[in-house]
Amino acid sequence: MKLTDKLIKAVDKKLERFDPLWQAENGVGGLRSRYYDKTGVAKYREWRGVKDTFYDYTQWLYNLMSMGQMVASAPVKCLRGFWEYRWMGSYLGTFMFIDRLFEGYRGYELRIAHMNMHAIVQSLTKKIALVLANDRRFGGGPLTDRMVPMDEVLPPLFMAGFKDLIPIPLQTLPEFIICDIDQHIEPYYIDVAESYGLPADVCSRCAAETGVTIDDAFPIIGKAFLSTNMPCNASESTSMFQRRRVNLPYQPVTMAMIHNEPGAHPYSTQELKNAIAFIEKEYGVKYDWNALFERAKQMNEQNTIELEKWDFFKTPYSALVGIAETLYRLYSWASVNGQEDYFTKNDRKVIAIMRKAYEEKYKPFSGKTRHRAFLWGPSAVYYTDFPTWIQNCWGINIVLNMDSTMGHNMISTTDPEQAIKDLALFSEKAVMRHHAVGGWDNVNAVWEWARNFNCDMVLCNDNVACKGMNGVHALLEEQARDLGFHFIFIEHDLEDSRTVSRQDMRKCVNNYMSVVLGEQPLDPTIVEFDDSAAY
Amino acid sequence: MKKALKFVLKLLGKLSLAGLIAFVVTFAIYMTNAENKIIYYVVRPLLNKHYDSQVRDRRI
Repeated sequence: MKLTDKLIKAVDKKLERFDPLWQAENGVGGLRSRYYDKTGVAKYREWRGVKDTFYDYTQWLYNLMSMGQMVASAPVKCLRGFWEYRWMGSYLGTFMFIDRLFEGYRGYELRIAHMNMHAIVQSLTKKIALVLANDRRFGGGPLTDRMVPMDEVLPPLFMAGFKDLIPIPLQTLPEFIICDIDQHIEPYYIDVAESYGLPADVCSRCAAETGVTIDDAFPIIGKAFLSTNMPCNASESTSMFQRRRVNLPYQPVTMAMIHNEPGAHPYSTQELKNAIAFIEKEYGVKYDWNALFERAKQMNEQNTIELEKWDFFKTPYSALVGIAETLYRLYSWASVNGQEDYFTKNDRKVIAIMRKAYEEKYKPFSGKTRHRAFLWGPSAVYYTDFPTWIQNCWGINIVLNMDSTMGHNMISTTDPEQAIKDLALFSEKAVMRHHAVGGWDNVNAVWEWARNFNCDMVLCNDNVACKGMNGVHALLEEQARDLGFHFIFIEHDLEDSRTVSRQDMRKCVNNYMSVVLGEQPLDPTIVEFDDSAAY
Repeated sequence: MKKALKFVLKLLGKLSLAGLIAFVVTFAIYMTNAENKIIYYVVRPLLNKHYDSQVRDRRI
């Protein structure tokens, strides 16, 4: 053993009493001990041992630099963005958000988690600066007319054929991602929508999007808007509000919902062709198939690596776990969608670490995992660190999430006609479309996925305002009993933390684990706690 | 030659000192969670006050 290793080991031993995992194991505290009550503000950062704490610190610095670069690239517009948009203020909670996500992470899982997170941070900060610098509310910019606002549940890869245009998923910055970071932001926008007369029982995500629209909190960019039918009827309604308020020429790209039907694909293919024709007309540009093929190659490589990751997920030796997998896949697939090389490079590095960890038979979370769970149904956006909590508290490792199974078919990189067909299939299997809608077979596919990934448990998110999924509640309960899976329905209200709080969600799990399975928590300090005032 | 070496060493010394100070300051901020405390207790309440006072035209 090298001298430095000996020294680090000695320091780690000396300071182990500050490590919350050690505290929980020895009954003298735990992960919640370092927090002020309710606020989610920590008195000090988590002590993870010398190496991991120092690594966490360097990643904090990297993320800080990305944010600094964002402001430096368009200082006036960024400051105006903070002043104009309520959602911009919420981005200040990013550091607290990252700390929450990776509590209890050590070793390889911490390294991969931060690599994935930094990929998101560097991409998101560039995107925010780009949008604010060209927002017409602040006088516009040189790229304003080259941007194409589009609905965020429409995968933007097909837009890569317009090499001089910049597709921007419109709702991602002001509505979706920000709810991950701050649980208190969307209730404001939901109230705006409801005070206008929107019923209070619709999906809170749709209500929040409508609120952002009515509050004029969407940046104004581009010359034409691509809307979509989105994956549910409430979403269609908010889509209508948005296109009226944004007031640009629009094209609804209505992808097939029941995408298992053979007749669906030609229909969806035609929808994409119509969208391309619309953009050509509105922006006066020509579609370039070679430009599409270049980006499709990136997406294909990312999906090839993703499929290899799945093989590791099936074992106890996957160093990519929980929210580090879920959030990254969601962002890199739905928002980046093959358009940023950084993500391909990051995937190559991550898979190399995963292979190494597998060879070493490395078990994440010091091997404390007791159950392997498949997470099904749309997750509560206001409780992004739920997978982290459930592992730290009950030893339940969420090995894969429904949203991570999105379009993983390869796209032709030589034949335009085949490529557009591949893109149609790819887009039909986008966020929420793939499994949460599209017919019973797609919803009920959970059991096969759970079995294939060697899970003994299925966690089903129960969005209380989702009319479609409410109808299958009892059927899924029955199936779970028949097939012998541990099964927990976790009620939530997607983006409204007032209806079902984070603690209410934890209670669903606590009850099942303590009453049905009779298990003891790994960390008693996080079984029940009040984080209602936390971001 | 000696003068140049002296200059380089002096510069390296100054850079190392600056690096050390930067490390101590940023690591102290990081460990005490200072930036999050300032954001949560000072910056966001001020910003929220501003956002709450904004007048928005919500007519459709």
